[in-house]
Amino acid sequence: MLTLLRDLRRSRKAIALSAPRRGRSLAICHVDAGSCNGCEHELNQLASPYYDLQRYGLNLVASPRHADVLLVTGAVTSRMREPLLIAYAAMPEPRRVVALGDSALGRDLLGSSEEIVGPVEAILPVDLRIPGRPPTPEAILQALLGLIDEVTAPQPHGERRPPGSRSRASHPAARPPAEAGCEVRRPPSSR
Amino acid sequence: MRTLLASPDGTTHLESAAPEQGVVPTIVDLTPAAGWDEREAHDLHGIRFGGHEPLRPLVNHDPALQRWVPVHGDDVYQLAVGPIHAGIIESGHFRFHLVGDRILHLDIQLFHKHRGLERAAEGRTLEEGLAYVARACAACNVANAVAYTSACEQALGLLPGVELRRARTILLELERIWNHLNDIAAICAGVSLAAGNNSFAALTERARRLNAALTGHRFLFESVQLGRNELTLSTEQIALARDELASINTAALRGWRELLFNTSFQDRLPDIGVVSALHAERLGAVGPAARSAGLAQDVRTHSPFLSYAGFAAVVPERAAGDVQARLEQRALELWQSFTILDQQLEHPLRAATSEAGGLEHPIGIGRVESPRGETSCVVEHQGERIERVRLRTGSYANWPLVAYAATDNLLPDFPLINKSFELCYACVDR
Repeated sequence: MLTLLRDLRRSRKAIALSAPRRGRSLAICHVDAGSCNGCEHELNQLASPYYDLQRYGLNLVASPRHADVLLVTGAVTSRMREPLLIAYAAMPEPRRVVALGDSALGRDLLGSSEEIVGPVEAILPVDLRIPGRPPTPEAILQALLGLIDEVTAPQPHGERRPPGSRSRASHPAARPPAEAGCEVRRPPSSR
Repeated sequence: MRTLLASPDGTTHLESAAPEQGVVPTIVDLTPAAGWDEREAHDLHGIRFGGHEPLRPLVNHDPALQRWVPVHGDDVYQLAVGPIHAGIIESGHFRFHLVGDRILHLDIQLFHKHRGLERAAEGRTLEEGLAYVARACAACNVANAVAYTSACEQALGLLPGVELRRARTILLELERIWNHLNDIAAICAGVSLAAGNNSFAALTERARRLNAALTGHRFLFESVQLGRNELTLSTEQIALARDELASINTAALRGWRELLFNTSFQDRLPDIGVVSALHAERLGAVGPAARSAGLAQDVRTHSPFLSYAGFAAVVPERAAGDVQARLEQRALELWQSFTILDQQLEHPLRAATSEAGGLEHPIGIGRVESPRGETSCVVEHQGERIERVRLRTGSYANWPLVAYAATDNLLPDFPLINKSFELCYACVDR
């Protein structure tokens, strides 16, 4: 194992992106809404020594309950629509939605219209779009780091808005969880 | 309704049955491996199968129709996991029936990601259809694309020449290499061996970067074409590929040796998630999952339209069908793939087209060994247009095996068992 650990230390030094200056973090919860598995493979690669996303303050977390960001891959299928809404409703405010990959953005969608509901923005208010089929790990990392800056940038005096009112209250899914009818309950598929 | 029976020795048998009042006789009594296919055909096309009782829904998730396998006994409880998982995992639902930590039965409900790709491809031209089939899955993109193009070429009577066969073989093996490196990393992650996981994840990254350097895409997207090959590899690219593959091979060998001598890691692997050869055969296992149980079957041994001359299927010495055997199988196949690429990458690759001259068929069949096992594609066409297309991937064949392998194991071992198969959800759901 020592050999492997030595190799890893070398590859981290040789290939790592420049160290970030940010003293902040984001907790990210991933939901696959109907992807081709490409975005998932690239996301998994973010944890490899080449990228090592945790040193940038980016953490992939197990539950939307303690996530700042919902990272959605794939165009939303009819069967994933409700689980996606339930995950979103379970998140604390303030929350952000990231649509990852061309399918999630509705670009060049293939499939039958009965099965695909549409791009992520047809279901949830999207704050960040990361294009690519699939986006490279570098592109994902850079876009998410930009989101850290945007989320934590201090608001100018007098412009501070209450949480959850970020000019998207009109979106059907932007209502508070209780109103959205998504209090914690099992999705129909797991009944 | 048509049924394709593909046997491991390379022969295929196409059976047509006209439904009588929507019912055809079932074949699950002859081969349980057809269970999912019949359930899918019922849900998507409304065909009923006489004798397949109960014909539980597979693609149809209507809660009113859901029937979990009834498990009775003292202290049995259910645990529902998914469709959203606690990590970067594709969407799918697992229903465990447990006593304490012991798994008595596992129901797997997939198709959350069903996109209706095959239905959407109907009526398109054969050329357009490739994008639909390739979209099914990123990890098996090349295998699925080659299965589809082979099926189309058989239907159109096109014969791929030597250079075209070579191009596809190179792409298929590049895909296998990154997948198998990824699978070894995943099994290490399954037992929380961070050093092993990180080492093989780093090698996976190197393999994907090589893919991008050779084809312009990390997952080799759009590198397979129907009736031709547009991929060229210059002398410099060939040299780069050979150097990098040799270097990855050396690093993978060293990492593998470290894993072999790590006793706390090795202790976790034997006798977990066992599938015997008998059951692997009965359930229609394919690929590394079948070979690690001792079934020496591999589509590459009978792929006349690919460059696999002299290829022989490899099985581990201890083909116990458990997690250890499936892990070792990945390593054995990796060394094979490095050797194949070493032979195929001896000189530059040129663009090529397939030649007319074969017999045309109304139905074409393509069979390819994907990293997860046999992938078959059947295309029925009317002239240039697709009438019906069906893709049955290695993952599709092996998912019922995961449920079988999990039985009688402890729940905390399930992630490890699941990782040892490392199946895709996307190319099952389509």
